Amino acid sequence: MKDTRIFKLGSFVLLPMAFLLLASCALAQTPQATPPPPAAPRSVQFPKPVDKTLPNGLRVIVVQRTQLPLVTAQVLIKSGGEVDPSDLAGAADMTASLLTRGTATRTATQIAEAVEALGGSIGSGGGWDASTITTSVMSSRIDPALAILSDVVRNPAFQDEEIERLRRQYLNNLRVALGTPGSIARFVAARVVFRDAPYGHPLSGTPESVPRLKRDDIVRLHGMYYRPDNVILVIGGDIAPKDGFALAEKYFGDWTRPATELPPFQVGTPVSDASTRRILVIDKPDAGQTAVLFARTGINRTSPDYFRGIVSNAILSGYSGRLNWEIRVKRGLSYGAGSSFDMRRWSGAFTASVQTKNESGAEVASLTVSEVSGLGTRDLPDSEMTTRKASLLGGFARGMETINGMVSQVSSLALYGVSLDEINRYVANVQAIKADEVKNFAATHLNTGNVIVVGDAKKFLPALQKEFPQVEVIPVAELDLNSASLRRQTSKN
Amino acid sequence: MRRSPISKLAACLMILAALATANAQTKFPRINFRQRMLANGLRVLSVVDKSSPTVAINVWYHVGSKDDPEQRSGFAHLFEHIMFKATRNMKDEMMDRLTEDVGGSNNAFTQDDVTVYFEIVPSNYLETLLWAEADRLSGLTVNEAAFHSERAVVEEEFRQSVLAPPYGKFFYLLDQKSFNAHPYKRPTIGSIEDLEAATLENVQKFHETYYRPDNATLLVVGDFDPKQLDAWVDKYFASIPKPNLPLPRVEAKEPPRTGEKRFVEYGKNVPLSAVGLTYLVPDERSDDAPALELTDIILSRGRSSRLYQSLVYQQQIAQSANANADLREDAGIFQLTAIIAAGKKPEDAEASLRAEIKKLQDAPVSAAELEKAKNQIITSQLRQLETNNGKALALGQAGVLRGDPNRVNSDLERLQAVTAADVQRVAKKYFTDENRYVIYYLPESARAPSGSENKNHPGNQSKGANAQ
Repeated sequence: MKDTRIFKLGSFVLLPMAFLLLASCALAQTPQATPPPPAAPRSVQFPKPVDKTLPNGLRVIVVQRTQLPLVTAQVLIKSGGEVDPSDLAGAADMTASLLTRGTATRTATQIAEAVEALGGSIGSGGGWDASTITTSVMSSRIDPALAILSDVVRNPAFQDEEIERLRRQYLNNLRVALGTPGSIARFVAARVVFRDAPYGHPLSGTPESVPRLKRDDIVRLHGMYYRPDNVILVIGGDIAPKDGFALAEKYFGDWTRPATELPPFQVGTPVSDASTRRILVIDKPDAGQTAVLFARTGINRTSPDYFRGIVSNAILSGYSGRLNWEIRVKRGLSYGAGSSFDMRRWSGAFTASVQTKNESGAEVASLTVSEVSGLGTRDLPDSEMTTRKASLLGGFARGMETINGMVSQVSSLALYGVSLDEINRYVANVQAIKADEVKNFAATHLNTGNVIVVGDAKKFLPALQKEFPQVEVIPVAELDLNSASLRRQTSKN
Repeated sequence: MRRSPISKLAACLMILAALATANAQTKFPRINFRQRMLANGLRVLSVVDKSSPTVAINVWYHVGSKDDPEQRSGFAHLFEHIMFKATRNMKDEMMDRLTEDVGGSNNAFTQDDVTVYFEIVPSNYLETLLWAEADRLSGLTVNEAAFHSERAVVEEEFRQSVLAPPYGKFFYLLDQKSFNAHPYKRPTIGSIEDLEAATLENVQKFHETYYRPDNATLLVVGDFDPKQLDAWVDKYFASIPKPNLPLPRVEAKEPPRTGEKRFVEYGKNVPLSAVGLTYLVPDERSDDAPALELTDIILSRGRSSRLYQSLVYQQQIAQSANANADLREDAGIFQLTAIIAAGKKPEDAEASLRAEIKKLQDAPVSAAELEKAKNQIITSQLRQLETNNGKALALGQAGVLRGDPNRVNSDLERLQAVTAADVQRVAKKYFTDENRYVIYYLPESARAPSGSENKNHPGNQSKGANAQ
């Protein structure tokens, strides 16, 4: 059942699509030698989410789609890894993960049994700005599934035994992640961009912070942030809004809002600039491939530059985006190159990432920097704008075609307080962006950035130093993810 | 042990009862497909679904990595990449112009038995894509430079999937060690050495041999008019000739295993050791396939599954544990794998995996556990049907690999009919000591200091099975 497939392009997700159209390029007429032109396009409407706030402050959103008898329900706690105390990286993620591992009346195994017996699934975890608990079931089983969803959010037991079990799992997962060049590069990039600010640590903690986390820390975090006025419940799929609202009332309506004020969001993150730019090599001599990451601060999700940002990214990323085109298609240097804006409550990061053989680490690093920083200066023809926007819109529409994709899109808008109508304005907003706006945006927001290269340094370091004189090298054994210096201060192992 | 005798009528009633349970809760949609055969042997399967203005197009070629030429492991997959280069009427990467540039997407994958190309596009582009698929079925005109560049991409893919991730080489070796005679023992991703040896001449020969209408199935699912589809298919595909050349098929049969084999392999970058057990099992058309697939679910789907409960949750001996009924066209393997938790021994994890096997053999699974597995299958099938491409892939698997497109509907009934006795019977029949191969994957630091063993650098592997 779990088949082994090797794709033309990796990280392919089986998302479908819906469609919208654009300038259909007029193609020539000869039937065999040139492609037949497209017929007239059909337009598409995305479902309209309906929302309501319960008296206790909990916001409920229902988005109905009835083709298949499936429902996904997601609880968002509007606090995630950004609220981790600075010495307790991983606290929010671990708190969220523990929810499904035991409540006052159900053990971890009973929770899994109950949901899986319905043919469904339940999972929880921390993001940066939110913690999520999600269940998916056949629509006929949504009532018992929501009963469990409510129980795990409201009444987690946080038993010592489960905390210890999860702690060991986190430490094992970290060992594997720290053996993987791409994961190391992402951990390091967060520290380089955000330094000691809230987004700087690994979301699931470090080998040093995970052992420090105590039950009290978890109980305190749950008590502070898991309250109805800090929650959004999104229910999507084969369910009518009135039924969704009734279920929300049934399982979350009697959850009391505490009298205390919700803690304010923490202050935003520092912005990196040219003067703090780092070119950092993590030397991992046994790496089978080198991971190259370009990273810098990005923009907020609510920034007026949002659409300029995502269109700029679409020029760079995707199969025929500039990065993959230059690095994979033209030069055969990688299986895939791409970039993304992770737009958060405070400026998230922009990252471009590529993996290549150790020997071509330096060449790929300079190509990546050149393509990203070149977006603001090089020519950007309208034809490129048209095709890259089409690709962006297609991806959006495909994402909306599954219930899980639709729920995650709605959740993301709701989390950042963006109007839910944006779903049906998305196409127009993207189409409105002009080439000049992209270039101006890129000249300010993508002009420079940090470079992180993780791999067998002896194979690329001399070439990299020619291109970037300020290279810092940290042997992987001396890497310390707990501080912005990234280097273990005392130990010499 | 023999299956307990059940009369035909009783069996039918059980199927109906099982379906009724599912149907009482859900309306499981059937896929109503249409089948056409062209005179040149091309099979066309189509399903109309106008719920969104998009269409998914698949072309399944019945050729996979088991058909790689001698000394050319990884060739069928490399060839798949080359199919995106120049054809008679298309320049390199033109397929991306016709899909990505208009908001669609494309991709392709290679397995042991098949190579599948697919596009998802706004439905007004259906004719354009039929033209393009027909064009690359008619012939390739890729040049030397494009071939070399794409081969380098595939070599990076090898590094990214096998060399870079800590367990890439483990899964690469697991398959490789599981077969003795059948070409399934060669890895789908190949080896750097064999990829380097491939030539443009190999490409032309491979296309001529396997890329022909009588070895292809075209699938169209989504928003279209059936009459119009037939007319376009006739216009673009009917004139492609069926070659007179014979269509070679793999004849090799994997012999039954005759005793346990044990392998110890080492890697440079192994944060936690790993253990794998494989059993040789029948092919995916076999009557025992549904029971094996359910066994996979019972062992490893979700946190209430047996392997998670025992190895990860209770004993905490594994960071993760998995089962996989990897059933292919000519034979299957049933894998059990565990990534071992820090401080725990691979020997103990192996013992725990084997204890789970013994439990399946000693007592039937409970009615509730079986029901749970069936519900999990129904939900995952529903998820697959959420998209046009999901439907096309399900239909392709039924038609090409399982030999009958009707199985896209009937396989679910077969799965619902599996009994607890069936699960116990297949466990006893296949999970025997003499049918077991065991592989330990350990860090280099665990290697005995004799120094006499051959170094086993991953980059130098030339034989293996398909990559994950």
